[in-house]
Amino acid sequence: MNYIDLIRQSEDLVTAGMSACQGCGAELCLRRVLQVAGRNTILSIPPGCMAGAGVVGWNFDNGLKIPVHIPLLDNTASFLSGVTNMYQRKNRPDVNIIAFAGDGATADCGFQSLSGAAERGEKLLYICYDNEGYMNTGFQRSSTSSKGSRTSTTPVGKVQDGKSQNQKYMPLIMAMHNVEYVATASPSNMKDMVDKVTKGIQASKKGFAYIHIFSPCPTGWGHETDQTIEVARKAVKSNFFPLFEVEQGKWKLLDNKNPIPVSDLLNLLRKFSHLSPDDIAQIQELVDKRMDLLRKLSAA
Amino acid sequence: MSKKFITPVGDEGIYTLDTGSWRTFKPVMLKEKCTNCGLCMIFCPVGSITGDENKIYEIGYQYCKGCGICARECPTKAIIMVRESIE
Amino acid sequence: MNTNQNRIVAISGNKSAAMGAALSRPDLIAAYPITPQSSVVESLAQMIAQGDLNSTMIQVESEHSAMSVVQGAAVAGGRTFTATSAQGLALMYEPYFRMSTLRLPMVMAIATREMTSPETVWSGQQDAVSVRDAGWIQVYVENNQEILDMIIQGYKIAEHPDVLLPVNVCYDGFYLSHLTERVEIPHQPAVDDFLGVYHADHVSLDPDTPMAVDPLTSGEILWRYRKGHLDAMQKALQVIEQTDDAFEQVFGRRYGGVIDTYKMDDADFVIVTMGATTGTAREAVDVARSLGMKIGLLKVRFLRPFPDKKIREILSGKQGFVVIDKNVCFGWNTGVLYMEIKAAISELGHPISSMPAIGGLGGADISVDQLVTCIQVLVKQGSQQPGQLDTYWFQ
Repeated sequence: MNYIDLIRQSEDLVTAGMSACQGCGAELCLRRVLQVAGRNTILSIPPGCMAGAGVVGWNFDNGLKIPVHIPLLDNTASFLSGVTNMYQRKNRPDVNIIAFAGDGATADCGFQSLSGAAERGEKLLYICYDNEGYMNTGFQRSSTSSKGSRTSTTPVGKVQDGKSQNQKYMPLIMAMHNVEYVATASPSNMKDMVDKVTKGIQASKKGFAYIHIFSPCPTGWGHETDQTIEVARKAVKSNFFPLFEVEQGKWKLLDNKNPIPVSDLLNLLRKFSHLSPDDIAQIQELVDKRMDLLRKLSAA
Repeated sequence: MSKKFITPVGDEGIYTLDTGSWRTFKPVMLKEKCTNCGLCMIFCPVGSITGDENKIYEIGYQYCKGCGICARECPTKAIIMVRESIE
Repeated sequence: MNTNQNRIVAISGNKSAAMGAALSRPDLIAAYPITPQSSVVESLAQMIAQGDLNSTMIQVESEHSAMSVVQGAAVAGGRTFTATSAQGLALMYEPYFRMSTLRLPMVMAIATREMTSPETVWSGQQDAVSVRDAGWIQVYVENNQEILDMIIQGYKIAEHPDVLLPVNVCYDGFYLSHLTERVEIPHQPAVDDFLGVYHADHVSLDPDTPMAVDPLTSGEILWRYRKGHLDAMQKALQVIEQTDDAFEQVFGRRYGGVIDTYKMDDADFVIVTMGATTGTAREAVDVARSLGMKIGLLKVRFLRPFPDKKIREILSGKQGFVVIDKNVCFGWNTGVLYMEIKAAISELGHPISSMPAIGGLGGADISVDQLVTCIQVLVKQGSQQPGQLDTYWFQ
């Protein structure tokens, strides 16, 4: 089915009104992911923007139309390991077991349990919505914040210019776990995202699947609320956020033959407004190097 | 199912906020320009744009936060943002 | 029930814990090694590998994940088991607290151990007593038979609809975990009958009954969950007694419920113990009596819920008591159990002398002779003055 028809015909399983910011990339992705997954799904959303926005429920109400649990910030993958093993044991492998976690819960304190679950090949789909920081607590830096990012814990001052370290690149780390399926996705490329979520769910019936989603954050990154898709699109077109997938070891990379300069993206975001031309050139180099590595891996 | 005050569970209803009241600009669809491509629905973070079986798309205002993504992404510029007024 | 069919074996405490867990037929077991618990999960892995136990075993990468995996399985309706010690317990504290406050019944064995620092892997009770206020039921046992029996009883107590709380079966690392003793292994059908099948109907993650498990909860409501939890702890005191009775009817062994006593009827002074020191203390009581001292023994089995009423009844009319703690209570210059007992007797209505005693830390031995000496100090000083005596250190 055409992806637009699929979304049009699929029930929105998220509460109609939740307190995610205007133009939130994560809210958009959560709704689309669950439209693909459907009602026969158990979701875990650890503390972070989506949990804070109320979709994990409030008092006696749910925030979704499906079962949801807010695990700890650092145990989403191990908690769901227990859930999925019980469902295999109950002979109900049809139930989709999905995590929807931010980058802090994924790449920082949740990294150990994620790596463990991936290594064990637990039958679940883990989705990271990466907004490059602890946005729910006020835009603190995480290990996935890009180099140069101004955050509330890597401020720009007289002797410091935002985050000085490189980003931890989760998609490749997860691909090296030799799991069933790993992919990156961007809301700007929605057909691609719908396809990858579909594949990820199928792969989760056989083993561990991981999807890393680029999730623009107007409030934290400093862009207009209507620019969310444009930011995501420029991230893809500049190779700042390369789109690839690894399906049972088989690589597929969306290669931009004529990428736009990364400055086209950075100039949209106030979190990078302090960067000098030299800083931007450095980031361009990092982006190019990573793309080269991905090309080699996908050609192998 | 729910046994109140044993384990905290939410199964009585759906928690819903009045996010429509956040809006300062509202999207207005210019039907004469609309080609019913559906991209506005695809990109709406709030789920406020729906399409019927004839692929006719419509904006619902109850929860629309007024982010403006639909207007910016519409390939035919068939959605414009109009300032909300107190009437 | 024909208990003649029971097997009699000589096994370590860890093996006994594994067999108790296996007889309870958990759906899912999380395994992660730590001294002195490791052979519990090794034994279970062996049983599964041999096809003798039909449980799903998840070999996790940390204790934090061990508790998280069983939490996920429990929310999905499973009966679960895991075991830990010391630093492992400390690492799992975050999901540990949540297990009880989500009211998820399970049993976890703790081969109790001293906490680092100084760096140590040896016995003590500091690990388990330090998490006494995380909402779990905690039973401390005396011997290997009691380990096995309390793991089975633990599930019965944990899954009781008036309780719905997780249970720790705590046994002294090395002293019990690695000690080989005679243990009667009950017949599987008898255990199946005794425990029944667990059905969670108070919480579930299931697309057939969609709900938010643990939604954000405001303070106007949260206190009700805490009150319910406290109420369940109090109800557990009764359930523990009932379970002990029911267990005796089927298996022929009883432990006295929340406490046990020895030669208490005519005693003037009392030695109070918790865990494996109890066995040594029974000998010490006999020796002290042969020396003319009227001594009795109070074995505190449950630290949570704390059996304050029973303890008050037992100590009423006594001249004094000493509490042997294999742990310390930072800030009080005593052990933890001493402070608990002190709180329990605050409404006794008559003066009583009491002596905190601390020993057995980091695997140090407490011998019969040392206990007799300690009892002599209690009797001498306690006969002269009521109130709290100086803390006695086993050196």
